[in-house]
Amino acid sequence: MPTLLVVPTGIGCTIGGYAGDALPAARLLAAASGCLITHPNVMNGAALYWSDPRIHYVEGSSLDRFAAAEIGLRPVRRQRIGLLLDAGIEAELRARHLQVADGCRATLGLDIGPVEVTDAPLDVRLSLGASGVSWGELGRPEALLRAGRRLQAAGATAIAVVARFPDDPDSEALAAYRQGSGVDALAGAEAVISHLLSLELGLPCAHAPALSPLPLDPRLDPRAAGEELGYTFLACVLVGLSRAPDLIAGPSAADLSVGSVGAIVAPAAALGGAAVLACAERGIPVIAVDNPCLLAVSAAALELEVMPASSYSEAAGLLLALREGINPAALRRPLAALQVQAP
Amino acid sequence: MRLVPLLLQLERQAGPLRPQVLAALAAHGRPLRWAITAVQPPGRLQIEAVVLA
Repeated sequence: MPTLLVVPTGIGCTIGGYAGDALPAARLLAAASGCLITHPNVMNGAALYWSDPRIHYVEGSSLDRFAAAEIGLRPVRRQRIGLLLDAGIEAELRARHLQVADGCRATLGLDIGPVEVTDAPLDVRLSLGASGVSWGELGRPEALLRAGRRLQAAGATAIAVVARFPDDPDSEALAAYRQGSGVDALAGAEAVISHLLSLELGLPCAHAPALSPLPLDPRLDPRAAGEELGYTFLACVLVGLSRAPDLIAGPSAADLSVGSVGAIVAPAAALGGAAVLACAERGIPVIAVDNPCLLAVSAAALELEVMPASSYSEAAGLLLALREGINPAALRRPLAALQVQAP
Repeated sequence: MRLVPLLLQLERQAGPLRPQVLAALAAHGRPLRWAITAVQPPGRLQIEAVVLA
């Protein structure tokens, strides 16, 4: 039963707000549903990743368009991943990223290349919105798109982009994030970059930030630890994209389409995103999981009908029930007796 | 091409929410990323977004 899993980026979710720390939940939901469609924020653990043929790695704006029936998804055996590097990345850091890509070619057998460098630094800037959610800006979006189009013309069927992000090793926000109590300040700008590329080129895309290594923090939260294992965050992106489905504007009956989706799973306080609202419009069951975050955009606030779940474990049980055709209400007590409707 | 950050307030009308949000954003550009980030009773929606302008 195809199922969507959304954990919005940069809103400080207790599960999924750090370095791919919703991945265990995704694995569980993939097992329960048999087919999970989710986005890089869920799957990317920097140097850590998990490949599961039941999980489809779809960039966030493409997932939104899939939910709105604007595109379908076509599973593939492999993608040819073009590597797009920001001209703002220093020579040594660039070499580190190229070595990660070479490592993924040699050790995992991924098809990576060509490589393009933007014709001008992308000028990434970080910002927070009124709600405290992570956003971000890109000073030179045209430079990003020019490099992406060169990769597409050279045969890339998916694009991994690495942009130089501003270092701020002494910031309070970064310390809070590493210690498990803050918002991922990079996430919003990352989403903007991959959304723009994917929207304009129609290819699977995902982003890894290029940053200088951080000094050791002995109080590091385990959820942020995936980002402290190496010099780059690129490996998970390359693995995710290596089997990301093609984005199909006119899907055939054999492709995945939103018409076959059996449920969407999202944090109970973050239901105001495009994918959840599109699914709700179509009557697709929305499983709202207790996963605290900065927001309070609940089913009650939006007047949506949802299936509440106190954890991702409970959500997995609900998915299994839906998959097996069991009415989840039959699993709870009390079970009210049927009443004859008044004529 | 510019990426423009937006903060909008929208009074909710009857019917599905997504088309209402998209219509509000369309006045500013092509939506790239957006979300309803707060709801103030009875039906005022706060929307944060980045649009292509």
